[in-house]
This record gives sequence, C-alpha cells and structure tokens, in this order.
Amino acid sequence: MSDTLSFDSNNSGKNGKHGSKYQNAEPDDKNKNWLEGIFRKYYFYHYSQLELGELINEHEFGFRLFDGKIRRHLAFNDKKELYAYIIKFSPSDIFYSSSRYQSPTAEIDQKGWIGSDLIFDIDGKDLHLECAQSHNLVLCKDCSFISKGIISKCVGCNSTRLQIIDIPCARCIKSLNVEVKKLVEILDDDFGIDSECIFVYFSGNNGYHVHVVDKNFYNASAKKRNAFAQYLMGKGYLIESLGIRRNNEGVLIPMSNKILYNQGWRRRIFDSIHLPIQNHKIDDKFVKKYNRMQDANNNNIQDIINTHILDLSAKIDPNVTMDIHRIFRLSGSINSKSGLIKAFCKDLDSFNPFVDACFIGDSNVEIESKLNIKISLKGKQFSIKPGKNTLPEYVAAYMICKGIGDIQNQT
Amino acid sequence: MVRFGNKDLAKYPFLKEAFSYITKYDFKLEDLDSKDYLHLIDKAAEKIENYLFFGRFEYQINYSKTHETIVQEEVIIFLISLLLIKSISIDVVTKKFALMESMRFEKYLISDLNTADRDDKTIKLILYKIFEDLFSTKILLEVDVYNFYKIRINDYLDHPIAFQEKEWNLINRTLHNGFVYLDGSEIVRLFRNELYLLIIDRIKKMSITRIPDTIMAISKSIKSRWEQIHHSINAPVSNAVTPPCIQHIYDQISKGENLPHPARLLLGTFLIYSNKTLEEMLELFKRLPDFDEKITRYQLEHLAGKRGNSKRYFVPSCEKIKLENLCYETRICQGISNPTQLIRKKSGI
Repeated sequence: MSDTLSFDSNNSGKNGKHGSKYQNAEPDDKNKNWLEGIFRKYYFYHYSQLELGELINEHEFGFRLFDGKIRRHLAFNDKKELYAYIIKFSPSDIFYSSSRYQSPTAEIDQKGWIGSDLIFDIDGKDLHLECAQSHNLVLCKDCSFISKGIISKCVGCNSTRLQIIDIPCARCIKSLNVEVKKLVEILDDDFGIDSECIFVYFSGNNGYHVHVVDKNFYNASAKKRNAFAQYLMGKGYLIESLGIRRNNEGVLIPMSNKILYNQGWRRRIFDSIHLPIQNHKIDDKFVKKYNRMQDANNNNIQDIINTHILDLSAKIDPNVTMDIHRIFRLSGSINSKSGLIKAFCKDLDSFNPFVDACFIGDSNVEIESKLNIKISLKGKQFSIKPGKNTLPEYVAAYMICKGIGDIQNQT
Repeated sequence: MVRFGNKDLAKYPFLKEAFSYITKYDFKLEDLDSKDYLHLIDKAAEKIENYLFFGRFEYQINYSKTHETIVQEEVIIFLISLLLIKSISIDVVTKKFALMESMRFEKYLISDLNTADRDDKTIKLILYKIFEDLFSTKILLEVDVYNFYKIRINDYLDHPIAFQEKEWNLINRTLHNGFVYLDGSEIVRLFRNELYLLIIDRIKKMSITRIPDTIMAISKSIKSRWEQIHHSINAPVSNAVTPPCIQHIYDQISKGENLPHPARLLLGTFLIYSNKTLEEMLELFKRLPDFDEKITRYQLEHLAGKRGNSKRYFVPSCEKIKLENLCYETRICQGISNPTQLIRKKSGI
C-alpha cells in the first residue's frame, strides 16, 4: 500500500508500485503545477498541522516529489530545516519513520535501529466492501477511459490493464471504524495497552493507521511484531486452544474438566458463539450446550468457529506491522491520492474525514470533469457534470488527485 | 535474597547456589581419583547408560542422608556426568544427554510447581529465581485464577518454542492484560529448550586439563558401545532420489537433533510408502534423542493403518510440508506436489 514506503522503495521513482501519476508529466503539466502550488500553500499556512515528536533528528524522512522521484534516507536537525525543505520542494507526499535510528541517513543495515512504535494499517481495499462495487471507479491504463463499478476489462478498449480509483463513501468509513475498534479492543484487553497509548489516524484516503506508543513493545523485533500481527488477525488458531479436540471418529469433543483461563481469543470466541465458560472450567453444563450446538450444526463446529474468528479478527496489513524500517505518511501532511490530510482522530465516532481532514482552500477554480459524480466535502454536496465546472479548490484538488478532473483556469 | 533449602537444591544441581556446596569444601576434580567418589561415578555412569542406550531417565535422588550430603553428592554426580559426556566427545551423545537431563529437571519443576501450596512462598520464590537467573524471564503467579502463571508477552516471545510449534505460537496462547498465561506444566515446558541449551553450553565451555583416569576409562567404554550400535546413517530409500525434505530430516538425525512432531510424521509416512519394514524404521528413529521404542512402534503402526481405525496415513503434500516449515525445495522438486513423486520419477512407476 502506498500510505507507507517499505525499505525496498528505490530513489528513482521508476518503481510502478510507488510511482506518481505525474512522473511522466511535462514540466508545463497544468494539473501537476497547480497541485504543487496548492500543496505549497497548505504547508506554508498550516505547517503547525504537521505532527512531529521529539528527537526529530533520529527519524528518517522520505518524500515523493511531483515528478515521481522518491527521496529517502533524509534527516533534519530540527523542524525549521524540515519546513524549509517542504516549502522548497513542495512534495506530493511526506513520509516519516516510526523508528528512531542512530544514523537515520545511513543505508538500512547501517542505521543503528533504536526502537519503533507499533503501527497497524487498516486499508479499505482489504475489507472488500459491497458498497465499493457501486462507487469505486476503474481507470484504463491504455485508453484512460474511466468506468464506474468494478470491471475486469475496459469498456472502451477491452484492455485488462486497469487501475481502481477509490472513492470511499460514509459507509466505507463506518466499516473502517468497526475494524479500528476491534483492533483497539484486542490491544487493550489482550496486550494490556492503555487506550491513552493508542493513537488513531485517518490515512488521508481510504484507511486508518493505528500507532501504539508503549515502552513495553518499543524494542520488539520484526519477528515479534509479526507474531503480534498474526495474533490480531486470528491466523493459525487451533481448535485445541479452546479446549476442544478431535476424537478417534474425527468428531470434535470438549476436553472435560480442563481448566482454561478464559481470556483472549478463547473468551472472545466462546462469547461470540454463546458458549460461555463458568469458572474457567469445561463442566457438564458446557458439554451439554456444546453437544446441542454440535448436533444442530451437523458437527460443523470448526466452520462456525472459523467464521467467528474472521468476524472478530482485526483486518490489518501484517507486512506494515512487522516492517520496522518502513516510513509512514506524516500526520498532518497531504495524501496526494485524495488531497485530504492524514489526520489524528481524537474521537473516532465523531470524526468525519470528509470534513476534518479537508484543509485545502476554498477559492473557486474551473475544472474539467471526466465524468458525472457526486462528491461530499467540508459538509457540502457537489453534483459534478462532465465538462467544465466551477468548484472550490478543495473539491478540485480531490478530483485531480483521483485523476477524474483537469484544472482549467482559476476564476 | 532467596534462601534455598538443601533438599530443593539437590534437584537443581546446575544452580550456582548448589555449586557453592562443593566449592566451600575446596572440592577439586583430582579428588575424583579417590575411591571415596567411586559410588558417585558409578551412579553418573549408570544414569548416562540409561539415557543413551535405553532412553530412560529413571533416576532416583538418594534422600537417606543429611541434606548437606545429598546436595553435595548430586552436584558432584552432575559434574561427573558432564565430564563423562565431555570426554566421550560425540555431538549426538551430548545432545541426547542434554535432552534427557533437561527432561529430568523438567519433571522436578513440574512437580514443584503443581504441588506447591499457595502459601508456600519459599518454593515459589526458588522457582522464580531459577527462571530469572537462568533464563532471564520474570514469571508471576495469578493467585486468583487457579494458580496460573503469567509472563510478559515480550518475554514469552524471547523463547524459540513460541515460533517453532503451532500450539506455542502467540495466537494459541491465552493473553490478557499484556501477559501470556500458562499452567505449571506449560511454563516448565517453555523452558525445556533453554535447559537443554544450558546443559550443552556447560559441557562445551568445560575446559579441563586432565580428566581423572576412572572417568576416562568409563567414558571410553560408553563411547565404544555407542559406536558399535550406531553406524553412519544411510538414506534408506534405494534406487530413488531422496526428496530434499527427507534428506534434511536424515541430516538432522545424523547431527543428533530432536525432530518436531510434523517432521516425524513426514518421515514415518515416507518410510512406510517406501515399503520399509517396521524394524528398519525403528533403526532410524532409534537415533532420536528422546527415542522410546514402545511409543515409536505404536505410532508407526498407527500411521501404517495397523492400529486404531485402520486408516493408513499418506505422505503429506508439498503444500502441507511448506506450511510446516519442513520444505527444502531444490530444482529436482519442480513440478511435484508430493515428495513421493520423486521416487516414482526415478523408479519409473
């Protein structure tokens, strides 16, 4: 995912995965030049939005520029130096390491890793939401035709070289919130992480980043972080861990009188399938209830449990959590995929990314829309027709970042 | 500081507190040449022979003496055992001894942890100290919940077993409030590997200028008996390519490594598929440090469908083998989905 950069991201910007849509742009590309100016203006007036902790000089910075080039392994002595760099280059994306290093500018194996907060990434794409089928768009990389919905071939030229354009809706955000809450609950209950140490950020496009600032986990290796991720995703859970085993006939039976501390995944699963355990013991009452359930479901307990685990698990990207050298979008910086910023969510329930993460100015500009679309930003609904439209800068920036509109002239 | 009772220390002769019982009397290795120590040398030799040739760890501490003597004797027997193994100087033997000895200590720990009275603070403090000193892990007792033990998640993951076996993976442990919860036997099993490594480390680090003659004579006799029984390992599949996953298992056995359960299952099913007789298979499994003929015989017969529900187990697929981290794929594996296909390929079945 491109809200972060892994250590193998190169500096050339030729890597398609991380490439910018402006990497082949001409120097006089109107969209690129306009966005560059808009981003610079944002950073000039809203630099205080950038969330930088202490010891800024021990973190690695990375930037994606509007020409598609990626610059990594940079460090700054203080905030002033960083601001000067940002204003000078007006990058399309700004990344910052969660890790602290002795030498942040050195090559990965020479940096001298000190430690890192735990980071979890929840991406809307990974939730495979039904609503995405209706509001997402597909761009054909060959003929640039944009279709609505999810298709496997371009309607215009039959090409299969397609790129999905996320246009998240309020329902997508609601589903993402559910995932964040599940994650936070497991971190709190099982990992003993105080909610005050858990910081939730809207990624600026279609996801959330959850940062855990806890000294107990700061020095955890990549291997340990991977174990945390597998735990949170419920991957590899053995039914025997519930105190249930397969007998000689292959039927799953409870291990009677087994004393199991009823917490963690065990409690979560038993509660979810309405089979609570009393006093941590698998007693006769439990066995009776279990057998009734087994009979009613044609011995299909394993499938039922698997479904519940899927529902209860946190849909995180394990690669992000275990990669201790990854750099993450800096909080308060603009996401060039949407024009919205990565924003801290103090209260997830009241946070509305389409309002609270929208910071671009509202002067009117003229934009050529490539399609008919409704966009809701800063609490206003915009019905956009194909062709010329006069719209506030923040809507124009959203459309250009999504690749569905071209800037004309400022009015 | 925790004060150990003498009796407790006899069970844990690897602790430095136990060792102090012989150093304070100015004990030297040369003393072992004296007849006074013959009975202890014999006891150590008998223990090692039981370990190596019969896979038994039926060792009895002689509690009929004064506490001080019991500890001194157990520490000296432990030292003699290390010396014997050091002078036998066969890697497989060292590993087998370390495994059996760690299993013996593990048995004591399980018994102490499970029978310890809730109010008996001393025994618990001793056990906490063993874990903290030897393995740098702080364990705590959750007195309100059936005497479960708990260790911090981060500390738990410092133990290799947490990554080696599925049931020990974090996902299959009970986590609550930042701790991993384990019962008495589980917490000790967690440390088995560490105990094993600790014993190997002690043997390797021994630097002795002269091994007492009596010990040298016994070690030579054990060594020659071992070498007569164990010849170099040959891949038992003739006229066929040995799949790399199976070859890796043979290599592990040759090095005296213990095999995880899925590797035993793979090897067993593969040998059965290769039409090996039960005796031929036992000959191979015999080299495992924790070999138990009765159990192995039963399990192989079960895999062959001669026990239980008469279902014969087939060799696991490459996909399953990969999932179990037992795959050591090479170019010859291209296009196969089960290691048995390599045998067919070669023999033209």
